[in-house]
Order: sequence, then structure tokens, then C-alpha cells
Amino acid sequence: MNKSGNGKRIAVKITGTLIIPVVFLVVLEIICLAGGKQMISNLTSFNNFMIYTAIVMITTLALSVNLNSGRFDFSLGSMALLSSTISAKITYAILGGGSGSAIVMLILTVIIGALIGLFSGLVYVSLRIPPIITSLGMTLLFEGITYTITAGKYIMGEVQNASMAAFSKTWVWTLIIIVAVLAVMILLFDHTRFGYDYKALQNGQKVAVNTGIKEVGNAVKCYMISGGLMGIVGFLNTIRNTNINGGQLNFASIGIMFTAFLPMFIGGYIGRYSNDKLGYLLAALCLSMLNSTFAAFSNQISASTQSIINAVLLVIFLIYLNNEGLLKKIFHPVQKAKGAGA
Amino acid sequence: MKKKLITMISMVAVVAMLVFSLAACGNGSSDGGAPTGSGSGSAPAPSTGSIKIGVLVADVSGEEAQGFRSYYENYIAPNYDVQFVYTEQLSDAASEKSAIEKFASQGCAAILSLSSSDRALQIETCEENEIYYAIVSGMLDDAQYEQYKGYEYFLGQVGPSMETEYQAGYEMGKYFAETGAKKIAMYGAFIPNPMHVYRAAGVLAGIGATYGGTSDMGAVVGQIFGDQGIDLSKVQGNGVELVSYFQGYGDTTADELNAAIQANPDAFLSVGMATTFFAQQLSTANIPFSDIDSFTSANNASMKDGSLVYLAGKYSSSIGPVFALVLNAINGNVIRDAEGNAVSVSQGFRVATTAEEFDNLVKNDSGENPIFSKEVLDTVISGTATYDDFVALVESN
Repeated sequence: MNKSGNGKRIAVKITGTLIIPVVFLVVLEIICLAGGKQMISNLTSFNNFMIYTAIVMITTLALSVNLNSGRFDFSLGSMALLSSTISAKITYAILGGGSGSAIVMLILTVIIGALIGLFSGLVYVSLRIPPIITSLGMTLLFEGITYTITAGKYIMGEVQNASMAAFSKTWVWTLIIIVAVLAVMILLFDHTRFGYDYKALQNGQKVAVNTGIKEVGNAVKCYMISGGLMGIVGFLNTIRNTNINGGQLNFASIGIMFTAFLPMFIGGYIGRYSNDKLGYLLAALCLSMLNSTFAAFSNQISASTQSIINAVLLVIFLIYLNNEGLLKKIFHPVQKAKGAGA
Repeated sequence: MKKKLITMISMVAVVAMLVFSLAACGNGSSDGGAPTGSGSGSAPAPSTGSIKIGVLVADVSGEEAQGFRSYYENYIAPNYDVQFVYTEQLSDAASEKSAIEKFASQGCAAILSLSSSDRALQIETCEENEIYYAIVSGMLDDAQYEQYKGYEYFLGQVGPSMETEYQAGYEMGKYFAETGAKKIAMYGAFIPNPMHVYRAAGVLAGIGATYGGTSDMGAVVGQIFGDQGIDLSKVQGNGVELVSYFQGYGDTTADELNAAIQANPDAFLSVGMATTFFAQQLSTANIPFSDIDSFTSANNASMKDGSLVYLAGKYSSSIGPVFALVLNAINGNVIRDAEGNAVSVSQGFRVATTAEEFDNLVKNDSGENPIFSKEVLDTVISGTATYDDFVALVESN
């Protein structure tokens, strides 16, 4: 009986974890086949698929770190922008676009991103005004600094070199980044004192504080981690676009955050059955499959239509999440009756 | 108290770090439009001569712009005893107007324009200040030329006409059709910029395609202007299929380029700027590409690595004839066409399809022996040179 129960539980976990990615894969593959297209048609497409997956997954992780604790952070995109801008300039100043530029820039973006996140966190805990307001201010500040550094222009020459091209030429580097980030995040949030404190604060701040957990330090560390992650996103965006757009002002960088909403909710759902970080990876894979399908049908589906489809999917998923209980009642009336009888 | 102090120190430290980073990274340049005779960075040293000519520039750092500047300052200036005075980077019509007024007050005899925010205002400002004016790169549209061709101080323009732009696109499309490309992707640059519209229309004709059921240049151009781009559903191929098209540059460009790469084209044809924007991605994806641009070292590198297989472009000394036009006017021989209007001569592009051709062209247009050398220019720099002499010079090179 126990074995059967365990088996059933594992089956439910596996089904719950994989159901959404499998549905995405099957539906999108059917659409591609019906249209005579291939979701991924060559190695370059696969490289792009992997880079996009990494960007979405890491942005989702960065967003969730603070949002799960009720801190809405609009400045994620501007952190990615500023950290990649500064690190691109420094890397070019040191190496002049030569060998090792990619790895040096990656390391610098993480460090600078974390410092920017630290600054953001310190401002938040010092001013004690709602995080949403602080993050709006930080967004404007970081965009403004980037604009000043770049004079509002694209950074191209500094990030177009053989080293950066080699990074985008293979999916292996991206896979290493994905695995490393996931491992570090799982270790940090699921197996350290910081992670336990984070979860305790998430589940009940007052109680957690009364037990001696320091919420200020925890929040600042969260901002630092979020900044470091967005540094990686900035680097990956640079690899993907082969430029950095320094002309983003007036919240133009906020858009990057919205790419993380749908995967965050999907990842949260998957997380019920396994690990939420793994959920974010699977959700990012779903979004990347969708992005590749859009690419395959780019002659038929315009960029604006793609945005609408993304938004509709988000709304549908939110409607589902908000009415999950109701749906269970509709589809499992027997359980409800049994429950009532007991 | 201690906590507060630590917080304050942390904040100050972070701010300091950011400030130092910025100080280290800042480019330290300003975008002012004030005329200056001194070069900056790797720009050539200012020329010294008895005749001062002001040059309006919108791009101070681009390789093409630097090539033009080097030709004027290092070759033309010492050979003709003229001094070129350059502006800083001009970004709008007001700064162009202000620069012309300053040039006039500094005693410049003429203005050469490499800046195009508002050419009409430039012409009118030169007319008000009674200072000769000529367009070095690009051309006025037909309506503007008709409006200003009779102005006394407007000497003329030398550059690719719209028909020349169309022909450049046509030759590029034809090259790929003849070399066996069956599926092509196309980048329309900044349509509805007329130059890009004509080039794109030429590419369609070159690959043997019709647009909206017609192959007539005027009709295709009109439709592209109307569509503000190329509508793939209106393209009817004839052996060569246009599998992907996009234009502009912005947030969606990376996705659009990836979509184009995913379509597995045999070649990627661009009507401008691809060498700047996409060379790395196209090279990584092993997709041969072409562009209408200029003969820069970056393009040379792309051609050598085999990714850039066709380049139609301008070369540094192509701006020589317009200098001859200006110098003649300063010396008293104002060349006008048969109707007494400002000169308007179309200048074609040079084409390279191999690294060797590219190298030869650059070699033949550099240093002491540019294509438009003193010997060549002297054939039209005289008190008796005529409009026909001038046209013959431009068309023969």
C-alpha cells in the first residue's frame, strides 16, 4: 500500500512537472509541421534557442528572488543594461576585443551587476519607501548612467569580436551557465542558512523577525543576487544582439522584466510538483520553444502579434491559476461529495 | 547608530565605485557643433592653406567618414593650398545652421556638406551668408533639387542618384541569382529612406522577382513607399525565393535576424548597414551576405573571412570631384549646367566580390595615389573647365 502510494505520488510529481513543457512541445510541433516549418532548423537556431532559454530562466530567477518576498523590482532590465555597458567598456579597455574578452566580460558583468544590486538594496532598506517606488527611481538612475556613458548610442565595436562570436557559436557555454546558475541558486536558497531565513521571511515576516532573523541583511543580499543574475542576462543579451543599446531612457529597459512573468507563473506551478528553480528552467524552455516557433513563422506573424500572443498566454494562465480551485470542484465532484460526507 | 553609520559608509562606497567606473569608462567627448580646426583622436592633423573651406560632418568616428577626412586633409589640402575646417559631430538642423554661420564669420570661402539633417536649411543659410555650398555625400530629392538648383551659392551635388541606387541593388540581386542562390533573406535597412527603397526595388528586379505583379521600377518603388517596407505576400519570385525580410534596427531586430537565419537562406542581401549590424552573426551562421556600404577595414575583414561575398561601396577619394567644383567656384569659374543650374551628377559605386578585388581597390585609392588624384582632378580645375568636362570626369571613374 505504501509502495503503491509512493509510486502514485512520484507519478503525480513527474506528470505535474512535465505536463506543461510536453503540451508546449506537442502543440508547437504540430503547428510547425502543419505549416511545413521546423521549430529548430539548424545549429545556429539551436544556439539561439539555448541562449534565449538562459536569458528567460535567469531573468525569471532574478525577478522571483525579490517578487516572492513582495518586492517588485522594475529595475532588472536597467541593471542588465548598466552592468553590461560598464563591463563591455572595461573589457575593451583591457583587452581591446582580443582573446578572452567574453569570459572577462562575463565575470565583470556578474560582479558589477551584484554591486549595482547591492546599491539598489541599500537604497531600499535605507529609504524604507515601497520597493516598487524605489525600483522605479533606480531604473531611471541606471538608464541615465548608461545613457551618459554611451552618449545614447549602441555599443557595437567593443562587443563584436572573435571571442564573443566564439561564445555564441556553440550552445555548450550557455548550457554551462544554465547548469551553474541553477546549481548555485538551489544551493543558496535551499541548502544554506540564508535560504532558510529567506523562506521563513517569505512565509511570515513578523514571526521570522521575532525569531531573530535579520530581514534587512536578507533583503540586501537578495538584491545583490538579483543584480548578479541580471549581469549574466546583460552579458547573454550582448552575445545575442551583438550590441548594447545605450539609448534606453524613460523606463525603456523595463520590457525585459515582462518576459519573465509568464515563466515565473508557469515555474511556480511546476514548483509545486518539484523544485521551483527547475520549474523556471522548464518554463524558460517553453518560452524558448514559443520564440523559435515565432521565428519559423516570422513571415506570417509580426513582432506585434507575437507580443499579443505572449500577453494572451499570460492572461489565460493567470485565469487558470486564479480559478484552479473552482476547476477542481467542477472536474472532481466526487471528491467534493466524499469530503462533505466525511 | 553604528548600524546607520555602516549603512552610510556602504552607500558612499557603492556610489564612489560607480563614479570611478564611470570616470574610467566615459568617452569624454562632447557633441557640440562648434567648428574646430583640430582633429581629435586618430583624426588627421588640421590642414593649413590660404583658402579656408568649412566641412559639415554628422559622423566623426565612422571609418568611411575618417577616410573622407584623411583624403581631404592629407592629400587635397597640401596639393591645393587649402585648409579644411571641420565641425564637431552635428546632430540636428540648428547645429548645422549655427556651424555655417560660424564658418562664414571665420572667413571660409565655401561649405562642403557631409551632414544631412536639413540640407534645405543649409542651402538657405549659405545663400544668406553668401558662401558657396556643395553636397559631398548623398543627394537632394528631386523636389528639393528643383527648388534650390537656381540658388546662386548652391554649386551642386555629386553622388549616387536614385537610378544609380536602383542599379546598385539590381546588380547585387542579379549577382546572387546568377551564382545559384535559390533562397535569399533580405534586410531593407531604413525603408522608407528613398535610397534604401530604390536599392530594395533594384534587388527584387535583380533576382527576377515582381512586386505586386509588376517589375517596373517606378511602380515597385511607389508600392514599397506605400507599404513602408516589403510585403512578402506581394513578392513573386522567378527561380529565387525571398524567404525572409526585415528592416530597421531596434528591440525586435535580434529576433528578426534569428528568424532570417532559421529560414536557411543561401544568401543574405542587405541594402545598407548589414556590415555594421550583422556581420558577426551572419559569419557565425556561415551565411554569405552582401551589402551596399563602403570600403572599410571591417568590411575587408568580413570579405577575407568569406562571409561578405559582395560589396558595392563608396571609396575615400570619390569626394574629389565635388572639391574640384568648389575650388573652381572660389577661383571664379562657377560651373553650371546648360540651363544655368547647380550641377547634379550621379556617381556610381565600385563593386568587390573577392578579397583581392577589395584590396586592389583600397590600394589604388590610398596614400599618394588616390583614384581622384591631383593629376585627374587638374583636368577640371581651371578657369575654362565646363559642365561637360566635369560630368565626363565623374562618369569616367
